[in-house]
Amino acid sequence: MAALLEIARNNAALIAVLAPFVGAALAALAPAGRWACLAAMAAATIAAVAACDLAARALTMAAAPPVAESGLALRLDGVGVFIGALVATLGALIAWASPAFVTRAPQTPYAVALFLLALTGWIASAYAGDLVTLHLAFALASVATVAAAALGAERDRAALSAALRLLIAAGVAGAVLTIGVALIARAGGGASFVSLAHAQLSAPGAGGVGYGLAFGALAMMAGVAPLNLWTAAFYGRGAALAVAAFGALGVAALLGALTRLAAYAVVAPALGEGVSRALLALGLASVAIGSVQAVGARDLRRLAAYAAAAQAGCVLIAVAMGSPAGFAAALVQIFALAIAALALTIAAPPHGALEALDGLGRRAPFASLALTAGALSLMGAPLTLGFLGRWRLIEAGVGGGWWWAAGAVIFASLSAVFYGGRLIERIYFRRASVAHERVHEPWRVFLAPALVVAFAGVLMGADPSMLLRAADNASRFLTGAAP
Amino acid sequence: MIAAHILLMICLGAPLAQAFAAAAAPRPPGLRDTLQIALSLTHFIAACLLFGATRGGAEARLVLARPLPHVELAFALEPLGVLMALVASGLGMLHAFHSAAYLRAVAEPAPARMQAFMALASFAASALAFSANLFTFFVAIQALTLATFPLVAHAGDDEARRAARVYLATLLTASIGLLLPAIVWTYAITERLEFSALGVFTPPVDAVTLNALLVLFVLGVAAVGLPPVHRWLPSSALAPFPAVASIQGVAVANAGGIGVLKITTYVFGPRLAEAQIAAQGLMALAGAAMCAAALIALSKQDIRERLAYSMMAQSAAVAMAALIALPTGTFAAALQVVAQACAATTLAMAAATAHAATGRDRAADFAGLGRLMPWTFAAFALAAASLIGMPPFSGAWARLWLITAAADAGYLWAGGLVALAAVLSFAHWGPLASNALVGPAPPPEALKRPDGASILLVAPVIVAAAATAALLFLADPIATFLSAIWRAPA
Repeated sequence: MAALLEIARNNAALIAVLAPFVGAALAALAPAGRWACLAAMAAATIAAVAACDLAARALTMAAAPPVAESGLALRLDGVGVFIGALVATLGALIAWASPAFVTRAPQTPYAVALFLLALTGWIASAYAGDLVTLHLAFALASVATVAAAALGAERDRAALSAALRLLIAAGVAGAVLTIGVALIARAGGGASFVSLAHAQLSAPGAGGVGYGLAFGALAMMAGVAPLNLWTAAFYGRGAALAVAAFGALGVAALLGALTRLAAYAVVAPALGEGVSRALLALGLASVAIGSVQAVGARDLRRLAAYAAAAQAGCVLIAVAMGSPAGFAAALVQIFALAIAALALTIAAPPHGALEALDGLGRRAPFASLALTAGALSLMGAPLTLGFLGRWRLIEAGVGGGWWWAAGAVIFASLSAVFYGGRLIERIYFRRASVAHERVHEPWRVFLAPALVVAFAGVLMGADPSMLLRAADNASRFLTGAAP
Repeated sequence: MIAAHILLMICLGAPLAQAFAAAAAPRPPGLRDTLQIALSLTHFIAACLLFGATRGGAEARLVLARPLPHVELAFALEPLGVLMALVASGLGMLHAFHSAAYLRAVAEPAPARMQAFMALASFAASALAFSANLFTFFVAIQALTLATFPLVAHAGDDEARRAARVYLATLLTASIGLLLPAIVWTYAITERLEFSALGVFTPPVDAVTLNALLVLFVLGVAAVGLPPVHRWLPSSALAPFPAVASIQGVAVANAGGIGVLKITTYVFGPRLAEAQIAAQGLMALAGAAMCAAALIALSKQDIRERLAYSMMAQSAAVAMAALIALPTGTFAAALQVVAQACAATTLAMAAATAHAATGRDRAADFAGLGRLMPWTFAAFALAAASLIGMPPFSGAWARLWLITAAADAGYLWAGGLVALAAVLSFAHWGPLASNALVGPAPPPEALKRPDGASILLVAPVIVAAAATAALLFLADPIATFLSAIWRAPA
């Protein structure tokens, strides 16, 4: 038994990737929706345990990360291990909440299977050993998410439009990423992260363009403004499970990949400065545009998408700093963003208009609690993860002399006060309109994951030592060296 | 003898328990009000014992969390905080009696909600008073803002919601946009945020940085009401009377005053003298705000609006005194905080009593009401005299010390502005109070009930006015108590 456990621990990354993949097959074959959900819960939990164990060993106990050298091209570096654990854990929570999204619908097994396939892709992207694997992982996750989004069409035909928008975005981003990867491989002599870490770029111009295209593609998929033209339709009309999965897992995985790629790019002397400037410009634009869009949003899920764009801008600014403190701040920010997005998307009422939130505090106190925690985190209220992320970011900015970057982060926080505060005001200080007053606590026990996320966010905000240590260690072995 | 750290826990826990009790047991009203009063009394007794323990040299520290490396969410005893907690808890206790009676008198539809948020505001003010470092201070300010925002929005109509939005936006924008960067900047420079009588900036910090930080810190504490982050004060005037007393008397305005005082005393300490350019600029701003607010108050007929602008003028005096880098300035600021808290709470409660008994809330309609409600309006007049700075009331001592400190520091112009503001304060309170007392008596039908206001509405006002008057004899003990700050070893 101990020997088996040891083998499992040595192949934790592989297990984290394969468990949801196998779970997807089982869910697709399940005779009823409830069996599919059980398969999803089991598979996602196994993946989460494996990924968290890996992260605990690699990031908090300072053990050298185990590396799988054959089979699937996996490579464990700091950012990958951190993001892998985050995505797998949040994936498990969504799996436990999945019955709330897809109860009794005839296509439930397929929806759950597609969610698990997407989860496979997002986790695999974190552990990808080369750019081609990374690309394939994202392709798998994107296609699965498109299909999952389209499954909502039975209840609302607009879901097809949402799926189409995501398909177009994924198609364009995929094509751009392909060209980017090819150029990076051409300039660096290979597409593996190992070769990138030691690369002396033979063609810096091509490499620069390649990185630029790759960053653009990943940013577009992550919903970074102004490349987020597709997100409003997808978040607003897509099937709830697909939106929750993409909003939390997809965005975290994509931003993680972007951070990872940037870590390799900034060490290349010919590229470092250019990459930094490009990321910074994109980050500032995303903060500004995303914040303005979120302030004007009239739909909770769209608001979540725009707020995520603003927060993603902060991540890009942190990454652009290129320092270990900046990368650590980016990871904390990604963590906070994913937690807030999950709380907002799981606990959102079925009707997404902001008016549906009026008086929700009385009708659905637990869902309101989760939404409030998410809103407070977005606002950067003290003792939340959002605050911690902002603090680390401002601290890194001030430490590196990037005062205006700190200013941008504060602008994002101030904007978040408006849109986050508006959510709280509607939930607790307005009366429900007649159309919405019959909407009560929607999902009973399946709301538990959202509450777990909300409380975890508060607890980790109060004592984030473990998270900070993990983020610091992850940033110290960005390109694979043990801390 | 109860240990100091237990008393500290009670001081922080009692208002929280009060809030929980109001939310958990909204009915029957008798039980709810009894719990509110009993817990506020517990809070006050604990604060009194803590005051005695601190005077005897007791120390206590309560650590709740460690959210950042070298930064704790912690509370500690220090003279300024203990003094403010004592004042806030004492006034809070009187306000608990008064609000219970007021809410019944006006048949408030959601009394439990209002009491719960007032208790939360009291908790946040206590947390700010006892904050051991800048991080805890920031958390307490945010908590205070979020706890009082529902009080402003309490009426639930569009006007109240709009006012609440302005309130929230002003306070949060200042704290996130100015205070937070200042705190992070300080942390980046010094790697510490702990309050100390020697200040935080013990490592060498250049004068430009100190000046910039002083501006960010002082404007970041928007609760003190300096322009351009003062809009929350007029907005709070749309809240119901008990909420106005809580915001302008017991909790927020005091928290702003003590907040600025903590910043200048425990963050800058002796280094405040090196930030004199910013300090003088801010003092000029405070002086101008003091006069302008007192002038605007003259034009306001709604008694709550008049009180709001008057409080803005009073709070500006606190900021001005705190920025004078002399012990006399610190003492003047502390005395001003205590005096304005007592006087403002008395005024707000007296106006609330008049409103509950007669339905009147406009200054012009107060004429002659003192003949029907002599105790209430005697207390009103006494509190107004203190706010004006009329000798021998406590407000006069605070102004006297402020002018002395300004003269000692060579800022005669500041003393002149203080005197001008006192004249303007007289203009907006003096005629109002005298008209209320000696104006022609309105017909007895002006009272909703033939026997006037209930004893629970009047007694707290009288006790608060007595406390305002008693401060006349307490200036020296307060100075002795606070002297530990400026006697700290260099």
